Amino acid sequence: MKISLNWLKEYCNLPVSFKELAEQMTMLGIEIESIEEPGKEIENIFVGKILDIQQHPQADKLVVCKTDIGKGEPLQIICGAKNMKVGDKVPTAIDGATLPGGFKITRRKMRGIESFGMMCSGAELKVEEDSEGLLILHPDMPIGEDIKKVLGLDDIIFEIEITPNRGDWASYIGLARELSAYYNVPLTLPKIEFIEEEKTVSSVSSVTIECPDYCPRYSGRVIQNVRISSSPDWLARKLMSAGQRPINNIVDITNFVLLETGHPLHAFDLDKLNENRIVVRLAKDGEEIRTLDGELRTLNSNQMIIADAIKPQALAGIMGGADSEVDNGTVNVFLESAYFDPVSIRRTARHHNLLTEAAQHFQRGADLEMVVWALNRATALIQELAGGEVLKGVLDEYPKKIERKTVKLRYKRTEKRTGVDIDKNFQKSTMTKLGFTIKDENEEEVFFTVPSWRHDVSLEEDLIEEIARFYGYDKIPNTIPKIRQSGAVFDTTFKKTHRIRELLVHKGFTECYSWTFSNPDIMKQLKFSEDYLNMVFLQNPLSKNLSTLRTTIIPNLLTTAQKNHLEDTLSVFEIGPVFIPDVKNLLPNEPQKIGILISGIAHPRLWCYDRRQYDFFDLKGVIEDILNELQITYRVQRLEFPLFHSGQSMRITNQNDELGIVGKISPKIAHELEINENTYISELNLEKIFKIISKKKLYKTISEFPSTSRDLSILVKRTLPVSDIFISLKSIGEGILQKIELFDVYTGEQVPKDKKSVALGFTFCSEERTLTDSEIDAVMKQIIEKLQKQFDAQIR
Amino acid sequence: MIEELEQIKESALQKIKESDSTDFLEQIRVEFLGKKGKITEVLKKLGSLSPEERPKIGNIANEIKNIITNNIQQQYQVVLEKEFQKKIEQEQIDITLPGRTYGNGHMHVINQVMNEITSIFIQMGFQVASGPEVETEYYNFESLNTPEDHPARDVHDTFYIKPGVVLRTHTSPVQMRVMEKTKPPVAVIVPGRVYRVDNDASHSPMFNQMEGLLVDEDITFADLKGTLMYFVHNFFGKDTAVRFRPHYFPFTEPSAEMDISCTVCKGKGCRVCKQSGWLEILGCGMVHPKVFQYAGYDNEKYQGYAFGFGIDRMAMLKFAIPSINLLFENNIKFLEQF
Repeated sequence: MKISLNWLKEYCNLPVSFKELAEQMTMLGIEIESIEEPGKEIENIFVGKILDIQQHPQADKLVVCKTDIGKGEPLQIICGAKNMKVGDKVPTAIDGATLPGGFKITRRKMRGIESFGMMCSGAELKVEEDSEGLLILHPDMPIGEDIKKVLGLDDIIFEIEITPNRGDWASYIGLARELSAYYNVPLTLPKIEFIEEEKTVSSVSSVTIECPDYCPRYSGRVIQNVRISSSPDWLARKLMSAGQRPINNIVDITNFVLLETGHPLHAFDLDKLNENRIVVRLAKDGEEIRTLDGELRTLNSNQMIIADAIKPQALAGIMGGADSEVDNGTVNVFLESAYFDPVSIRRTARHHNLLTEAAQHFQRGADLEMVVWALNRATALIQELAGGEVLKGVLDEYPKKIERKTVKLRYKRTEKRTGVDIDKNFQKSTMTKLGFTIKDENEEEVFFTVPSWRHDVSLEEDLIEEIARFYGYDKIPNTIPKIRQSGAVFDTTFKKTHRIRELLVHKGFTECYSWTFSNPDIMKQLKFSEDYLNMVFLQNPLSKNLSTLRTTIIPNLLTTAQKNHLEDTLSVFEIGPVFIPDVKNLLPNEPQKIGILISGIAHPRLWCYDRRQYDFFDLKGVIEDILNELQITYRVQRLEFPLFHSGQSMRITNQNDELGIVGKISPKIAHELEINENTYISELNLEKIFKIISKKKLYKTISEFPSTSRDLSILVKRTLPVSDIFISLKSIGEGILQKIELFDVYTGEQVPKDKKSVALGFTFCSEERTLTDSEIDAVMKQIIEKLQKQFDAQIR
Repeated sequence: MIEELEQIKESALQKIKESDSTDFLEQIRVEFLGKKGKITEVLKKLGSLSPEERPKIGNIANEIKNIITNNIQQQYQVVLEKEFQKKIEQEQIDITLPGRTYGNGHMHVINQVMNEITSIFIQMGFQVASGPEVETEYYNFESLNTPEDHPARDVHDTFYIKPGVVLRTHTSPVQMRVMEKTKPPVAVIVPGRVYRVDNDASHSPMFNQMEGLLVDEDITFADLKGTLMYFVHNFFGKDTAVRFRPHYFPFTEPSAEMDISCTVCKGKGCRVCKQSGWLEILGCGMVHPKVFQYAGYDNEKYQGYAFGFGIDRMAMLKFAIPSINLLFENNIKFLEQF
């Protein structure tokens, strides 16, 4: 909302500079978005009167004017505009003047004739967005007057933001009321004076309220024989300072009173109302109205309308109807001022997506006791500016009295809540300055009646906030509380997740962070199974691409790979939730997952490294390290997963429960996505992993006795999984076989085609003694026999 | 025989003198002093001498043996030293070549900041809590004193999932979930993703917030100010100014917004702070009695504060990141900067 400081000062005399005022408004909770000083740079521009216009002898498009600026001889000014005539008053910049933006005007020759200044357009003075020709001023403007003064440019415009609880601030009087209370200066309301006719309003019109819950109060006046014209300069300028466009005097007055009081008014053309009367009622289902914006709107029975005897004439509190609009032919006006239920206004406005200025005021709660005052204020202005006869009396239907609330304040409570001892008298006077009245009081407490404009106050805490605001949040001390816990624990995975994050970062991985949205079409394209397509859908997504919540992090990783496809090497991961609908619950499950992707060359491109590409085992090793760090036992199995290369993918399980998957991207999909074919991806379910009770780490004795190693190289069937060898040797060695290393696997020319050579290193050690060769030989013999028997192994 | 020994001695010393490797010295030792060495050969002939001559020649032979041994030892030290020198000369490298490294990894800047912030609050005695991102309207709005027709819902452009279910628009619903699980005292912080229907240069439909909630018998507004001041001074530095302005949130009363002095211009006024010198970073206040009512807490006995702020914004301020969208684009050239 734009607030002109000059206008604000009409209601209260603020004893501070605009900078101090802005600071203080901020500290009272009135947020200042920006401060504009429209005339800041304008200098030496005056009201000038054109005395003469002659064609420039050397230029078709220019004229030579004589302009009187009230000082000395009239100035000779060359001008390119066409919209002025002799006698017009225009803004005239003299030699040495400055325009907005710091643009300097100096005397100069134009096509041989000297020009001693410049006559300005509205755009040049930044009072209009764009202009055709000069700004023609009102004929009453005194010649020689500073243009800043006559155009109201010697003003400060605050752009303020008002929180939803303080609808009462969204008006000049509301703001002035707050500031006059703070600065302890009187609030000056305009005098309302007009003459009423003998004829009564009830003789020509009437108001009926059929829905008092929606409209507790409705008042109106009738003004006959008004003269519709444009508004006078002062009114037009005030509306423009608020960013509004003047329309005609009647409409402008209702808009002006809205700005002044915060109370939306509406003027109907009385003669266009059937039977000249007003019925406030709920619409019938399917009833229609064409609103002022030209839209034909279909109504339902929850929506309040202002109707005449037959049909809707306004969407109550939101927008008038086109059929009863005040136009240049209007003679008799019905002026409405009402109080509408905020919730009903909000619902209807949202339904029609029509959050008008009026709707915004009503949905925050208008001032019930301001209804007639605002009506009379507008009436007086209409009589003053549009003439007309005001019929006697107000049609004031008030079927549902709303009582003012009473709220108790315990003085001690203020200290208990704020932590600072605020003087009793300060507490009490703050509230009374703000318009609260004392209903009852004793030493410890006071009962306040809440003013009609303060819909936000209903609890003691609300009063404490008022006192704290006026005391100053900055004067409340800063203390460090003693922090206690009840003993309840609310999260057990935050730290564990962070440990995995750190582990991967230490391994050289870079962490990604994606939006958790997904697109089912892309999931299908990536060949994800039906399980993954059971997704949480958004009702109002930003786009098709962001229409569901993800069920896997893998598509995010692939997008990252696509975006960074020019990198030689990529090793990234992301940790976050996925969303799995749960038919048994309202809310989906949100397990945390980790996705890891490696792609391209295994080492940075550096003088000391070869250009080896990443392979499956680079990623498998990372997964093993994570699971080992968490002390989790697991098994691996081959996996069929259409996104992955069928020969290079696996599932990781614990007690037959799938913990995650690892695989090479299928060449087809890598080709389609235009990413490196050597891309390996894994996804682990951290929720499942964290649930597994890991082995506790306990100290193991470090043997004082030397260990001995033996190597063994065997030929086995090429298709034999090496893990089978390890499983078969698991229980062998009578406690002295400490470690088996797989130090070579070879297929190729040196061995038969259907065989592979596997080289194993065995480490033997005892905690009690130095082992003898014969002991070790005995175990090696057992090992060899077992391998021969089980796998038909040949010793090399 | 003496002559023979003297000749052996001369020849040995000459060879020792000329030797230039430890291996060669070892050969010399074997040639002269070994079991089959020249001296041993001479000594074997001692038997053919007269008993008077034997000790005399024997002594001379031993003397020569000692001289050769000493010489070998001395020369050994000299040669060894030379060999070391040579080794060092041969093993010169260009120490300016870059080291063998895989490079460091990079934690996402949001998580770096989230971790730093949680550590500060954990030190003070808070614990981390979490809650679902797909949330009921009850927890996201209603129980936080924001009923369906409340104008405050306008500022939360909400993603809807189905009737009564939304993507949480803030981390505040976790306040209620925590309070339902325990009686006071409660001291939690809640980092997490939140969602709003908004996507432009300065808004992302998904972003991150940190919620704080402290409830006990005597927690005051002054405590709220002190806690947040402590946090700001730890996170942004001691020279950061802090101010609290009255504001409005449905779930706190009194409510405030906290500003810090602009991290770019230090409060002088610049483009980032729109010339005000201040940056708005956080909303807070004393927990609203209606919220306690929903939680089943006695408003007469207990009181507390709550606050919430954007983690992404903190990261952007701390690292001078110009646009929130950079945070979620996963451009490696961005991620590797932090």
